[in-house]
Amino acid sequence: MKKALSVLMAAGMTAAMLAGCGGTAPSSESTASTESSTAEAAAAESIVTEPTEMTFVFADGDDAFKTQMNKIVDGFNEKYPDITITIQPGDGGSYSEFLKTKDSVGEFPDMMEMRDTAMYVRAGKLAPLSDEVASLFSSNVDFDGVTYTAPFSGANTMGMMYNKQYFADNGLEIPTTWDEFITLCQTIQDKGDMAPLVVGGSDVWHIGFLYDLCYANDVLETDPDFIEECYTGEKNFSDPNYQQALTDLSQLLGFAQEGWASTPDAQITTFFVNDMAAMMFSGTHMFSQITDADPEFEFGWFAVPDREGKVSLLGGGTAGGWALSAEAAKDPNKQAAFDAFCQYFFSDEVYGEYCEVMAAIPTTATMPTMDVSEQFQDVLDALESADYLHLMWNQEIGNKELPPDFRNFAYKTCIEIAQGTRDVNSASEELQKTWDVALQSFNPTTGLGVA
Amino acid sequence: MLSKKKKFDKTAFLFIAPAFVLFTLFITVPTISSFYYSFTSWDGINPNITFIGLANYKEIFTSARFGNALKNTALLTVVISICENVVALALALLVDNVCRAKNLFRAIFYLPVILSGIVSGFIWKIMYSYNFGPINKVLDVLGLEALKQDWLGNADIAIWAVAVVMIWKGAGYYMIIYLAALQGVPQDVQEAATIDGASAVQRFRYITLPLISGSFTICFTLSLINGLKVFDQIAVMTDGGPGFATETIVYLLYKSGFGEGRQGYGTAVGVVLLFIILVLNSIQSTILRKREVQL
Repeated sequence: MKKALSVLMAAGMTAAMLAGCGGTAPSSESTASTESSTAEAAAAESIVTEPTEMTFVFADGDDAFKTQMNKIVDGFNEKYPDITITIQPGDGGSYSEFLKTKDSVGEFPDMMEMRDTAMYVRAGKLAPLSDEVASLFSSNVDFDGVTYTAPFSGANTMGMMYNKQYFADNGLEIPTTWDEFITLCQTIQDKGDMAPLVVGGSDVWHIGFLYDLCYANDVLETDPDFIEECYTGEKNFSDPNYQQALTDLSQLLGFAQEGWASTPDAQITTFFVNDMAAMMFSGTHMFSQITDADPEFEFGWFAVPDREGKVSLLGGGTAGGWALSAEAAKDPNKQAAFDAFCQYFFSDEVYGEYCEVMAAIPTTATMPTMDVSEQFQDVLDALESADYLHLMWNQEIGNKELPPDFRNFAYKTCIEIAQGTRDVNSASEELQKTWDVALQSFNPTTGLGVA
Repeated sequence: MLSKKKKFDKTAFLFIAPAFVLFTLFITVPTISSFYYSFTSWDGINPNITFIGLANYKEIFTSARFGNALKNTALLTVVISICENVVALALALLVDNVCRAKNLFRAIFYLPVILSGIVSGFIWKIMYSYNFGPINKVLDVLGLEALKQDWLGNADIAIWAVAVVMIWKGAGYYMIIYLAALQGVPQDVQEAATIDGASAVQRFRYITLPLISGSFTICFTLSLINGLKVFDQIAVMTDGGPGFATETIVYLLYKSGFGEGRQGYGTAVGVVLLFIILVLNSIQSTILRKREVQL
């Protein structure tokens, strides 16, 4: 009897432990409503042969983006009652790591926002876009002639947002050269009313915005192939232009608010609209956040020029966008559902509203109908007249593709320079060392690690 | 001498089996496979895995970044092990000797333990905020503006700010272990010493301390391992920054593996950490076991 009891207990323990380990309920932050009237269901044309469920992940750190996406997915699920797209929580702060972790634990989503497109294409994780979806865009970024992502916005053009009232009250002018810009920062700092610039340095990618400004002005304008030349050994990170970029960035961070290194990007709008900082350097996606934080706040936008007064802006199509996993594409219903979602997302009404709210540069061949704010119009005008257009260095593909996460190492090194724990020469050496190590396993110019 | 023949105990085996199977599946197998991956340049997602010999280990032992992470880990481990145990013992003595509301104090001191590392990290990130955090606000109100700091943004201070959070979060757990040990110290021995004229300090030094030294071994071992594994608070509060100022070995392991797409290198860092823990743990156990006294 005792033995039988112990066997039962042992079996019970095993069952209990296994039950504890298994999580069967799918986690979802927002399962978009699929409730719709019978009439609507009958009206919608069925594009799948059986009810289809899709998991969907995107970087949800930006509230405005998250709200828009929830709304769009809700609308899609309502229009196609036999398809349920379930949004799973994304990690806005470190989305790339989050997606890799999802893949590692076997939870790679059916459809997703893709950023490290080249890496996932090489790993065979993504399905090519269907011809009908690929034809929606004015231009596509392809890999060996195949397009894998549906870009939902052009490169997020960065620029300086400024407090119009403060500029007017103090007779401050929009700078036309880099030196004038530095003088402007110095003037505001000397006045002491507020910080010249708000920086969210706690999120290392935010440093990337300012890095891009200096890197584009000092390096890319004269040498757009700098990274490729670093791969081939013609250039290195002790290059005078590159060191100038590091110096400029360090100088710029000297104008940031106190505590910038521990301020998250999510807080910078608070500084800006509460007269704690006169300027904020970020992408067009911040326009809606500023307006939401204080609808009465008056702000303008300008492109920060280089030393000669020329303007280099982030612009053009990127390799990022909506993507379907190769695994999901094996199911014709999921492929059809993804195609339908893209058609819905990039339809005139839906995409027009998305671009309007997010101040996103449209990527579709046909311009969507949208009302453009004053600031966004300034951006569009600046893009038209810019002397140079470039992509963020980590968005490049081909021979200019960065080694995995080299950018974050560079940004962290820049913080060290700005905080005085490292000088520019030592930073150049450290970057070169890390670059050399990365080249042992990744070099697109020789095909190492990209085959 | 009669040799006792060992018999296979089926019942015992059945009791052990569930834990054995799960432990093997989720701990032993991944640990062994880690050794294999540490010799590869696997990026974590590509099915093609290339064997690169000792290259990952060579990089680890020549890299300034690993050296920096090792230094930070060592610093945090030493500070946390010592401070957590000192604070925990002090709290345990306090709770043990308090006459009223003993359970209330015990619950209050234990409260931080039940918070997840992520949640406590977020709470303290707000507390430490330079412009909006209560710590700097209090300093402002007290007229101590000179003491205001960018607690998590200053490379010289950030690691200490993280250490404070870890001590705050961990001390309550060790307090419970010490409290249990203190309550196990025989009262008759204490009374005999009091009659012999021993002072409170002498009783603590020569009676209490030796009799609770078994708990020291447990608490120091656990806090040492926790110190070496510190991750949650770093990830939430500093992201290893500013710059690389608070990067620890586990954080570097995670960043390399999942952030930089270098699973092979990250795994090699994990293997090195495993050996560091084994060596330190055996040294610590040897030293502390010698001090244990049993009545």
